[in-house]
Amino acid sequence: MKKIIAIFCLAMLLCSAFSGMAVASGERIVKVGVGAPSGDWGYPSPFGFYPRGPGYIRMSFIFDTLTWKDENGVIPWLADSWSKSYDGKIWTFSLHRGVTWSDGEPFTADDVKFSFEYMKEHPFAWISLAHIEKVEVLDPYTVAFHLNEPDADFLDFTVGHVVIIPEHIWEDVSDPKTFTGDDAVMGTGPLKLLEYNKAEGSYLYEANRKCFKGEPIIDKFISMTVSDPAAALATGDIDEASFWGISAEAASGFESNPEFETKWGPSYWVLNLIFNYHEYPTNNADFRKAIAYGINRTEIVEQVLHGYGIPANTGIIHPESEWYNPDLPSYEYNPAEANATLDSLGFFDTDSDGIREYPEGGDLEFELITVGRYTGEAYLIQSQLEKVGIRVDVKAMDWGTVDAILKAGNFHLAISGHGGIVKPTIQPDWPATIYDNPAYQSLYEEQKKILDYEQRKSRIYQLQEIIADDLPVYALYHPKMCCVYNPEKLDTWFFTKNGVGQGIPIEMNKLIFMFDPWRYDSDENAIIDRSEVIDAIQDYFDGKITKEQAIKVIILYFQ
Amino acid sequence: MHKITKIATYGIIIFVILSFNFFLPRIMPGDPFAFLTGDPSTDMPVVLDAGIKAKLLSYYGLDKPLSMQYYDYIANILHGDLGWSIYYNAPVWDVLRGSLKWTLLLVGTSTVIYMASGIMLGAVSAWKKGKRVDAGLLTFILSLSSFPSFFLGLLFIILFGVDLGLFPISGARTPFMDYSTSFEEIIDILHHLLLPAATLVIAHIGGIYLLTRNSMLNVLGEDYILTARAKGLREGYIMRRHALKNALLPISTMIALIAGFMITGTILVETVFAYPGVGRLLYEAVLVRDYPLLQGAFMIITLLIIAANLAADMIYVYLDPRVKHK
Repeated sequence: MKKIIAIFCLAMLLCSAFSGMAVASGERIVKVGVGAPSGDWGYPSPFGFYPRGPGYIRMSFIFDTLTWKDENGVIPWLADSWSKSYDGKIWTFSLHRGVTWSDGEPFTADDVKFSFEYMKEHPFAWISLAHIEKVEVLDPYTVAFHLNEPDADFLDFTVGHVVIIPEHIWEDVSDPKTFTGDDAVMGTGPLKLLEYNKAEGSYLYEANRKCFKGEPIIDKFISMTVSDPAAALATGDIDEASFWGISAEAASGFESNPEFETKWGPSYWVLNLIFNYHEYPTNNADFRKAIAYGINRTEIVEQVLHGYGIPANTGIIHPESEWYNPDLPSYEYNPAEANATLDSLGFFDTDSDGIREYPEGGDLEFELITVGRYTGEAYLIQSQLEKVGIRVDVKAMDWGTVDAILKAGNFHLAISGHGGIVKPTIQPDWPATIYDNPAYQSLYEEQKKILDYEQRKSRIYQLQEIIADDLPVYALYHPKMCCVYNPEKLDTWFFTKNGVGQGIPIEMNKLIFMFDPWRYDSDENAIIDRSEVIDAIQDYFDGKITKEQAIKVIILYFQ
Repeated sequence: MHKITKIATYGIIIFVILSFNFFLPRIMPGDPFAFLTGDPSTDMPVVLDAGIKAKLLSYYGLDKPLSMQYYDYIANILHGDLGWSIYYNAPVWDVLRGSLKWTLLLVGTSTVIYMASGIMLGAVSAWKKGKRVDAGLLTFILSLSSFPSFFLGLLFIILFGVDLGLFPISGARTPFMDYSTSFEEIIDILHHLLLPAATLVIAHIGGIYLLTRNSMLNVLGEDYILTARAKGLREGYIMRRHALKNALLPISTMIALIAGFMITGTILVETVFAYPGVGRLLYEAVLVRDYPLLQGAFMIITLLIIAANLAADMIYVYLDPRVKHK
């Protein structure tokens, strides 16, 4: 039976090759939109993009890394396989053969060595490569990294983040920030840049047909600025947009629309109430806990986010991360508990004005500083804390000012958020720098070097316990994230496990441009059966996939 | 002598403003590299280590003493060099030029339209004071103009863009369109321009309409209008030549005042329509403390305002020859 199908398949493919039936009608163009203020994330060269997740994503379509991530975790990319020495200080990578830069030059281990050395000299976004002692080329397709100390995040956050640039171009570039033009955006990835318009915030890419991972499934990709992503989806100006937090309310309107599909994913982002760990009275852990009990996080999520978020893990790590500790106290809203603690600390409302007084005299009142967009949360906290006798003055400022105040430590309470909460990679009170609990700091440094998964996991669990118990910050919520897309144009969107690179929660992983024969496994039983292979052949005749791609599915059927 | 004093005055004004443009951004709390470590609305915060920060400071010349930075700034401006934008990672002039042309198009078109129609309607209104035309215009224009511009813009987007599908809802043109003729390109740009320009016209017409109406009413009470009528001149002629020309004096002053505001005051409309203008750019530049871009953008605005003032001075002379003889 299989043979008959095989002969049928090949006959059909041959027929079509002569008759030209499968000539695709028109180009396959996919457009994504970014809302105001701008979809401009900088020139997509490794040194030109603005150091933000969306900027990195737009660069990563063109430039590749040794490893990459899909929805299940780390996958081989420019490197086929790797091994590490027993002490974790030497990592050896076998590179994929036959990779070429888009100008036709071959990609070799020399490019890898050059890239890491170049980026030690010219800092690449976010990352410090100080712990890489040297990069050694063992042969044209094998490269070894020698580290000063073990790096538990080496595979995903270091080599999965640093892009490889062509030595024959960049060796002559002394100031990479000012380097633009075709050579500056020449990589190995699935797309090539055709045009970029800074003022209008728009990008035009075309498929890199010689990409070593196979021919992309689209012809052109456009990223553009739109006034309102939901409206632009409805008018057909764009084919995909993503929404998070309260804006996901607009996305949920598309769930009942048969022309669109929606996917929900984690934002790996947290909004924190930051306490001044050193100033009286927020330097007292019991006092911080009293405030936590006085805050109703569920109400904040319902009223401010309209339910498009979840109350946060008090240990900060996102619940969808594999490092999340599920057994932490959540400080369920309990005004009675808050009142009892404040009483026991000696804060009483002696003049019966509804506000407690310090034991030394004077009203118990604080400034709560935040940026404009979190004033909704701030005013809700203000009214909640008023009920337990604490007066809060909301001061909204712009981000630059809030950042400066937090860094200087001139505050009592602040609301600020950050992403990258897949694992502990930054201080919980970022961007403030006042949390100096030695137990936390030594454990934090230690876990970064532990290569054994279970051992590291137990340390990361402990770190979360310390934050949840010591409360240098009270984590308020994690927003939900949603992407809405027109499946007729492209239906491969997905959320990357632990985020792209160092935790970027964006659904524009470049794998969406690649053909994955397993998507024809519609019953998801890890076997391509007869009806599924016929689907693929049908798509081929409809011009939806190429002959090579159809053959990939047919090969899976025979395996 | 008079001309020399005037040139010197303008020179001093420009120098003082340029100095303000240098020092004001630096007085704001925050530093221009904070954005490199992420902001609370996006992802990926990072800690800049001291070594990288020192490298960046020296790369942008921000490690020099303030007096040296100020000297470099003035010297570079005299050479026509506006510097390198820290956030946008490109020459300041390139960043500005890309947005400036769209702002000038949007502001220019809408200003001409609302000025002309505002003055015309204001004059008609005053001429017909107390009649139904006047009452109708007054109610209609004032109620329309009292809508906030962003609300009006959103209304237009939903009504004409999404529901009726008549106009594009974002940007200044269709991204990466292959135009077969330049006529097609102009049509595309005008098509994108219409809704934001209409929003600006409606948002601003009220002020100029009221000013013209009031100014006209004052002038209409003057003796020379009575004289003109007594001479038996036609009504339309009196309105245009005798009344309106004199009523325009305070309006020309106002034009100069609002010229600068028009560049920055369009930010709401630019944001609502995702129109790639300077207002939005400037707002971003303030948020990320991009000193070179702020200096450059403020300088351009300064020059535009001063040019508008100069123009107003000259128009004044034309409108009121008495100024010249004094």
